[in-house]
This record gives sequence, C-alpha cells and structure tokens, in this order.
Amino acid sequence: MTATVALTTTRPRWQTGVRVAGLAGLGVIALTVALSDMIARAPADRVNVRQVSLPPSAAFPFGTDIAGRDVLSETLHGLAVTSEQAVIAALTTLIVGALGGFLAARLRFRLGYGVRWTAGIFGAVTPLFLAILFIAVTNRGLAPLAAGVAAAPLAFARTFDRASGLASSRHAEFARATGIGALTLLRRDLVYEMRRSLLAIVGRGLASGTIILSTVSFFGFGALPPHRDLGLMIAGAFTTARASGNFSMWWTALFPALALALVILMARLAAGLEDGTRP
Amino acid sequence: MSEPLVTLSDVSIRRAGRNSPILDNFSLTLAAGETVVLLGETRSGADALARALSGVPSASEAIAGSIRIGNRSSLAGDIAPYKAARIAYWPAPEHALAPNASALAQLVRVVARKLSFSQAEARAEFAASLERLRSRVTIQDLARPAALVSPDVLSWGLLACAVAQSPELLIADHPAGNVAPSVAGALVAACLEAQKRQHFALVCVTPRVDVTRRIDARTIILRSGRMIEEGSIAQLAGEHAHTYTRALFHTQLSPDAAPGRPVGRGEPVLQVFNLLTKGKKADRRDALTFALRRGASLALVGDEGSGRRALMRVLLGFERPAEGRIVFDSVDVGILSSTMLSRLRRRMAVIAGEDGALDPRLTVHDTVEEPLRARLHLTRELLNNYRDAALKRVGLAELDGSRLVAQLGPFDKRRLQVARAIVGAPLLVILDEPWRGLDALARNAMRQLLVDFRKAEGPAFLVVTNDFAVASALAEEALMFDDGKIVERGLLADLVKNPKEAATQRLVTAAKGGLS
Repeated sequence: MTATVALTTTRPRWQTGVRVAGLAGLGVIALTVALSDMIARAPADRVNVRQVSLPPSAAFPFGTDIAGRDVLSETLHGLAVTSEQAVIAALTTLIVGALGGFLAARLRFRLGYGVRWTAGIFGAVTPLFLAILFIAVTNRGLAPLAAGVAAAPLAFARTFDRASGLASSRHAEFARATGIGALTLLRRDLVYEMRRSLLAIVGRGLASGTIILSTVSFFGFGALPPHRDLGLMIAGAFTTARASGNFSMWWTALFPALALALVILMARLAAGLEDGTRP
Repeated sequence: MSEPLVTLSDVSIRRAGRNSPILDNFSLTLAAGETVVLLGETRSGADALARALSGVPSASEAIAGSIRIGNRSSLAGDIAPYKAARIAYWPAPEHALAPNASALAQLVRVVARKLSFSQAEARAEFAASLERLRSRVTIQDLARPAALVSPDVLSWGLLACAVAQSPELLIADHPAGNVAPSVAGALVAACLEAQKRQHFALVCVTPRVDVTRRIDARTIILRSGRMIEEGSIAQLAGEHAHTYTRALFHTQLSPDAAPGRPVGRGEPVLQVFNLLTKGKKADRRDALTFALRRGASLALVGDEGSGRRALMRVLLGFERPAEGRIVFDSVDVGILSSTMLSRLRRRMAVIAGEDGALDPRLTVHDTVEEPLRARLHLTRELLNNYRDAALKRVGLAELDGSRLVAQLGPFDKRRLQVARAIVGAPLLVILDEPWRGLDALARNAMRQLLVDFRKAEGPAFLVVTNDFAVASALAEEALMFDDGKIVERGLLADLVKNPKEAATQRLVTAAKGGLS
C-alpha cells in the first residue's frame, strides 16, 4: 500500500564540453599551421626523384608520393593553406550571411522578405556549385571568398528568420512603444545574439568553408602548385591511383584526408554540434 | 464510516539538487465526494503534491511516504494504481495543451483514452459534458489550435474534459489559471455543481484566495513545503488564524476600496477623440472619446473581447486606428513621423502582466539602464546611480545585476519592469493586468509599489484590466467596455456602488464574489 516513486534526472552539459574540446583542437591546429614551415622537414612541393613512392617508415612517417615529396611535410603545408583559406571563407560567411541576414530583417517588410526569398533560392543550390560558378566568373584566386559566399545564403536565411522573430517579439514591441529606437534594438539583438552565436556561426563557416574549398580544389577549380591544399593533394593521389590502376599508394590520400577530417570535426565541435536552429 | 478515497501518510517530496524537501511529511485523508483546497503560493509544495497525486511527478522529484488511493493502491513504485483509480486532472489553461494541435482533438483524445472509448464516442461524451456545464462555450470554439483559443474558453474545455471522465477524484491544479474573476467564479460554480451530480472527491490546488473563498470548503494552507494550518474559510479568514494565513486573506483586494474622488486636475496628458479601432465593423456611434489628465488614473475595464485591449494596442502604437485622433502630451500622434513618434513615446512606460514584456537575454542592469542609455548621454557613475536607485525602490537592490531576465521569477520580472519605468520618468504608464500570475502576497507588494511610484513621480496611470478589484486599487475613474464600445464611465466608487449596465454588474459581482 505504499507508493515510492524515485526519479532523478541529470541535465547533460555535453555541449559545453564538446565546445571546449573543439576549441582546444582548433587551437592545436592553429599552432601547427603557424609553425608548419618550422615543423615540416621540406619546403612545399620539393621533389626528390631518388625517394619516390616510399610507404610510411621511420624515415618518412607519412611516406612519399610519386614525385618523391615527403607526405608529412606536404600535409602540413596543405593544412596551412586549407586552414588559412577556410578562415577567410568563414569570415565571409559571417559578414555576408549572418550579419547581412540580421540587417535585412530590419528592412521594410516586402524588401526584407524579397531579399530573404532570394537567399532561399540560392540556399537551395548546392554550395559547391555556387562556389564553382563564382570562381568561373571571377578567378581561382578568389576561391576562399567563393567558398564563403557559397555558404552565406544558408547563414543569411537562419539569421534573417531569427532576427525577424526577435524584431516582432513582445519585448521588442513594448520597447518600441516606450520610445526605444530601432538602432538601439538592432544593437541589442546584434550584441546578445552574436555573443551567444558567434562561435557557432564561425565554427560552422569554418567547417563548410573547408569542405567547399577542398572539394573545388579536388575538381581543379581551387589551389594550384606550389601552394597545394589538402583537396589538391587528395586529387593528386586519386589521379595516380587511376593511372596505375590500383590504390597501392594509399598513404598519399589517407593522411591529407585525415587532416581534412580533423579540421572539419574540430570546427563542428567548436560550434557545439548545433543543428543550425540558431544563427 | 466509509473507507477514505485518498490517504496520504507522511509524504515527502524532494527535488534533485535541493537540500530541503519541497513537501515535508504531509498527511491527508479525503473521503468520496469531499472537497479540500490546498492554498499555497509558489514553492509552497502544493504544485508538487498535485503532480504526485495525479501520478505524474516531475522527473527530478523523488517521493517518499505512503499514497493510498481507494482500496486498489498496492503500489510498487509505478503509476498503475493511478490508472486503476479514476482520477481526472484539470490543469490551468496556460501550457496545458500542445499549442499547434487542435484543442478539441487533444481533449477528446484524453477522454477516449481514459474511458477506452472510440474517438466518436469520446467526442459525443465531451460535447455532452460541455453542455452540462452550461457555459457559453461550444465545441466549435475549441476546434482550433490551442494557441489560438483564449484561456477562458480553454478553461471550460479542460473542465469539461475532466468531468467527462466520470472521475472518483478530480485534481484541479491551478484550475482558473490567470483568467478573470468573473470566469473563475463561473468555472468554480460549474465544477461544484458537477461534483454534486457525480459525487467525486475534489482536490483543488490554487494560489488564488478568491478561488478558495468561492469553493468555501476545508482548506489547507501550505508554505515552504509545510502545512501551516487547516480549517474552514470562516476560521481561516477570522482573526484567530495564523499570521501567514491572515496576511494571505487580507491581501485580497476589494472593489469597494476605490477612492470617491478623482486625482489629477492638470493638463490632459492623453486625449482620445472619436477613435475607432480596426477589427470590428466601424460604427461612428461607438467611437471612443476620453481624456486623462496629468497625475490621474483611469481604468479601462472589460471582459475578454470587449475592446479595451484593442484600444490599448492602438495607444501603444502596435496597431493604427481605423479612425480618430490620439493626442499625447499636446501632440497629435497621427501627424508625426516614426522618428518623432518614437521620441514622444519616451514619456510613456508599460508594465504588463506577461513574462515576455522584458527581453529575456538582457541582464538585470542592462534592462534598467537601456532607457537611460538610449535617451541620455550620462556618465557611467550617473548611470549607475540612477539604476541602483530604481532597483532599490522596487526592492531589487540585492539582486545580482549580471543575472539574466530569463532566470528571474515572475515577481522579480514585474518589479524590474517598474524599475525600468521609474528611470524613464514617464508622463503616462500603461498597466496591463499588472499583477496577473502573481501570488497573493506578491500582488499586495506590487500594488503598494505602484501606488508609491505614482505618488512619488506623479505619472498618469492607464490601467487595463478585467478585474474591478485591480482597477479600484490603482485608479479613481473607469471606462467600462463591452462589445467594442464604452458602455459606462465615471468614478470607480460610483460604478462599484451602483453599476447600471449588465456588463458592469457582472464584473463587479465577480470581483466581490470572492469576498462574500
């Protein structure tokens, strides 16, 4: 005749831990990139015809490729190129996409929604195609900008929706009714939203920028030797495998691919693995 | 003597992460057909007890002790006995249902599940139940997404759903929510009538003294998880009750408290000429004309849908009027550009009885400072002084200024709104149900705060309410709204004493009803 209900819940704080882990990982990557010229045993694109196609060993931990380049050194240089370009792409996404979305939400109703509608159309196109299109009409030197612009429509749509929701919220209505100006409200929304979401936006931008840049390079629209990025290294390994008819030199693709996956993973972790419901 | 229906013995409820129990060694016996009211404010433990009795405790709550329901409660830590005993739950309308799904579909589904009926049978049972309650609400009124159904209508639907389940025990958990006294009175009367008909036991958990008085049954006063005392309304409202109980009962405001003469005879601060709001078919005979002088206080009183809220939305600039002129501080707002209008509105403040009135992302300090920073170029020191003085006046000086608004309780949020209004030095303060959702003692403190604010700063008050007791506490004159037009106007004392129109009589009776 006795009811004893004992239920306890602990709220997971996994997201904070994930973010810290992601930021720490990005910090290590940034340090590696900054010191890449010192860590790497050979300068970028140095060819050594006497040591071609060596598998990983004590002398060459990541092996060498068909031109005798040290894959470890090449991966470090490629990581530096990819990361630097991805940062530019992420900042472009932040400014054109996130900030643009915030400002567009304050435009007059029809104009603002017209811009949102246009962003929605571009957002429906695969960012990779947008990036290639941008490079095709400009030049491949602008690949980082192209990657940032290609990822911008989605960021734009997210921030626009969030900002327009905030602009029509009850607290904003009451603030306007008591003479709080539009600029004050915009500043309030920008400061508080960016404080909460900046890391997520930049993290997602970094991840998408890395993916887009590597893919356009893989298809030959991005980086050119001697400044090879990770996508171009993988493309080189792929071309060699296709020419030889087998994939015996797996290390030439595996290590750049792992470095690429690491950057994307850390960027996503730093963004808190958010699903994009917040800008 | 018959077997008790519910027996609680030494029930304690603890929440994870809290040292003290939220309910401590509570015992209760309730026979079939009997009524008990658990009157308690926030954190009194009454809410947790209602959840435990309903068999749906919060996930973070651990219940110890013995809960026996009828003779079927051989419990072993599961909710099977709650299913065996026919228990119906009547919650507050706010957040009771999923907002985007049809309210009717959700309520019918509950009846179908509880009675093991088909959807069609459950719908017929629900419709019959709604009809037996003799409210003006029809089944069609509920056939909309729950978020679009007014709390009044939803309350009737929830009550109909509960009594349709032919319960042995009905748990009314904040049954009237924040609905108007007139609706709360009708709901309680309908529930008690259904109880007579169906002979179910009733446990009512409420923080509202007016609801407790209307039920007029055995009442248990709870505070901080402990039972303070138990007795009839006559005993608890008497002079020999516990100090806390007396404080609770004496906080209930009376509409008879309205002053007999108006205050404020200066220049008009707000004038409304021949105003017609949108949404209703324009009839010039219904156009609104009134004036509010500096330092005066005017109440716009009316039921839901009477038009007072539409007028408030127009005055706040949320909507444009269909016709007419509004003159604020001797300036016709209709001819101003949006920039000039925004500047004019700086002399206006809003204190609303809703949580969303303040930005939940702002800190306490930022919330109070924002009007100052937006309007004046003050040094940091001056800004801090004004902010701290305002927070001190509303009793929030000790609050950590870096806390977010989202982390505050309803009373603190409401006081923060007053602090924000104080720093703005407004000419006009619009108060929209200023103590909706507050506990009895918090209501009293809020009333005193607003009265002191008006006395010290001298702003005019425009009080929007459906409760004559609220109007009488804060205003001297009133406009009575019904069906989109003003049906009666005058001194509040006169309106309360001699209400001429049916709508006025109904609301005055409702406001007095909880006191009789």
